[in-house]
Amino acid sequence: MAQTVRQGSEEGGQYTPVGTIHVVDPSPLNWLFITWNTMEEPVRTDANGYLVGAAMEESRWIDETTFEVKLRKGIRFQDGEDFDARSFERAFVEVQRWKAPHPPGTSLNFHPDTRLEILDSHTVRMIFPEPDGAILGKFRGFHLPSTRFWDEIGFGYKKLGTGEGHW
Amino acid sequence: MGAQPLNCVWLDTREKRTDRVVLTANTDHWNKERGPRLEKVVYRNDIDPAEALDLVCDTEGEIDLVSEVSAADAEKVKNSEFARLEVIDAMRVLLGLINRGAEDAPLHDVRVRRALNMAVDRARLVAEGFGGYAYESAGIIPSYAGGYAGLEPYPHDPDAAKKLLREAGWPEGRALKLATTTATEPVAGMLAEGMGESLGIGVDVIVVPDEDLLAAQHALVEKVMPLPFDVLLHAWFDLSADAPPAFMHGFLYGEGGAFRTGPPVAEFDGLLNRFVREIDADKQRELSAEIDRFVYDEALSLFLVFPQALYAVNRNVNFVAHATTLELAETEVTEEHWSRRNGS
Repeated sequence: MAQTVRQGSEEGGQYTPVGTIHVVDPSPLNWLFITWNTMEEPVRTDANGYLVGAAMEESRWIDETTFEVKLRKGIRFQDGEDFDARSFERAFVEVQRWKAPHPPGTSLNFHPDTRLEILDSHTVRMIFPEPDGAILGKFRGFHLPSTRFWDEIGFGYKKLGTGEGHW
Repeated sequence: MGAQPLNCVWLDTREKRTDRVVLTANTDHWNKERGPRLEKVVYRNDIDPAEALDLVCDTEGEIDLVSEVSAADAEKVKNSEFARLEVIDAMRVLLGLINRGAEDAPLHDVRVRRALNMAVDRARLVAEGFGGYAYESAGIIPSYAGGYAGLEPYPHDPDAAKKLLREAGWPEGRALKLATTTATEPVAGMLAEGMGESLGIGVDVIVVPDEDLLAAQHALVEKVMPLPFDVLLHAWFDLSADAPPAFMHGFLYGEGGAFRTGPPVAEFDGLLNRFVREIDADKQRELSAEIDRFVYDEALSLFLVFPQALYAVNRNVNFVAHATTLELAETEVTEEHWSRRNGS
């Protein structure tokens, strides 16, 4: 195994991207992996597969049905738009439009009667009609793109006129 | 589709890939300690995986990373001058879906399902079917995931398997129908040989042709027509390692599970409903283990292996493999890499 070498110019924990690689990924989940490489979600997984915060900095249950999410500050989309609670709200509204937005099925759906409250620019609360112990796992598939993405492309919206099965 | 949290519907999302997909670094990304460390990632969809494996092993500057390398090709990569093999414990499982609803065989009887499990020589399967790049499975939560129950694989015990099959009244002369896709056909062949010998019955292998795969998948998910198999080899995965029942057990055994093969199991659904409503992480892990013990005790599947994920990687690429995905934010190249030598 090659020894790990710090590449690029690392300054204060930062990397200057260098180099190009060519990848052949025959996995049927290639579409999902590319999405995860290019979009924010509240959580991602570490190398061992365990969930860690991404666009979500922390979370807590206020009571059995109210889940508070603190969003990370300082995130900017590729098109320059700042990420905040409104971005989270837009994604929530968009995903709730569809009966089965996720290709694997409805196990990643939020309950259709879930409500969202914005507390401040980077804090939201989700109020579920019943406890949802799978919420963090569902966040893995809850993509958080910019306004321009929704308005111009969407998940299958422009091409197919629907987001069913294309999140 | 009902209102339960783990229901599933059938969706056909197949789309043709473009020849190339190019990702460029977002230098403004917030997580600067992580990356991106590469300037550009080019997915080459115009190259056949077998050809890509040759290119990564025998050349430099063509292909840097090939995923889904088979165990049969592992040695080729290990012997390569230009590439190395990366192996990761992945959130993947290969099992047999047992058709508990079969009309002419007592697969509804737990004794038969345990007999099937005792007829498998998993050690041989790992060694010969996967070149050692897999773990024997007991239940469907591997030791490296949350909620691991510490179960031991069913022993390979042909005498006990034959006895259980007799006691449950397996019909004389009735062969076991083992179905597979072309992807797992070699594994099916190995299983059929070993299980037939262990059980003392014939095993007929049914290979689903690639052109019929979509229709077969529809039939499996829709559950309208009788299923034409006793056991179907099935590969599944998880999106995270934290709480496997939400995605794995629910799909395989739940009332709304796409891959449930047989009538709903009330006790399982009760456990799963408790699991999805449990918001305490520690209690949820305990429930995960309880659910995995239940499906193991009831032998709801033919438990086989947890395959590892294999990658062929150019020697000058420092690739950080992930258990659930192919993410490239932390991957980097050395100064000797062709793209840096060429200034690409």
